[in-house]
Amino acid sequence: MIAPNILNDFAETAFFWAALVFMVAVSIAGLGALRLSLKGEAVTALMGVSSFTTVAGVGLYLISLPELFNVGFARDTAIALLVLGTVGTIIFARLFRTEG
Amino acid sequence: MYEEIFTLIYAAIVMAFVAWTIRKGSFIVDPSRLAIYAAFIFAALLAILILLGVDIGIAASALMKLGAAGILFAGTIPIIAATVGFFRFGEEYGPNIFYARNHIAGVIDTDCSLVMIFVGILIFRFDLVAVGFFFFLLLPFSGNALANAYYYSYQRRLNK
Repeated sequence: MIAPNILNDFAETAFFWAALVFMVAVSIAGLGALRLSLKGEAVTALMGVSSFTTVAGVGLYLISLPELFNVGFARDTAIALLVLGTVGTIIFARLFRTEG
Repeated sequence: MYEEIFTLIYAAIVMAFVAWTIRKGSFIVDPSRLAIYAAFIFAALLAILILLGVDIGIAASALMKLGAAGILFAGTIPIIAATVGFFRFGEEYGPNIFYARNHIAGVIDTDCSLVMIFVGILIFRFDLVAVGFFFFLLLPFSGNALANAYYYSYQRRLNK
């Protein structure tokens, strides 16, 4: 007979550590994206910023989950970063696209 | 204490499998078969837990949360590999390095969106699924727009 709380403890610990490891990986990817956005020509910088908004948005969304840190207001920032980051990248890429 | 040891073993197995797949360059287990195997393992574990006397709701929720943890562990390895690529490939590879970097950025974006979708499904957070799916739909347009902008604004001028 397995007590239900033991099973839940196993699942919650695994989920917590998995999310934490994922957030650390995403933060390191954010550093790489930031480095890319600070060098090279304009389109490379735009790509770096786009990648940074993605990783920041996903990290913030994970922070906002009630199963993890339950920081409710991070969710709105995450949605804004994910949606506006991608849409903004498309719009700015269209602006950069000049025939020279 | 036992929970952390279990998590460590679980993480090691999942991450080693994903790293092996990336190292090999092709799927070790075909994704369509892998989904069937995962469903079979889930059903078998659920049946075992029910036979041991655990309530079906608690058992299913715990197993799905374990699956979500596995997806998060699996998603970590491609992101780390892509980050190494970001730092590894510098300007010495010429103007075409932009396309390699665009591919690397695409790997990070796709990995993040797929993790959001599947983790959201497994922990019953459908707002996470909706945002992840919207993001997943916009990704190809973003990558294509960036490559297009680079070609017409910079590389074409360079070739003249």
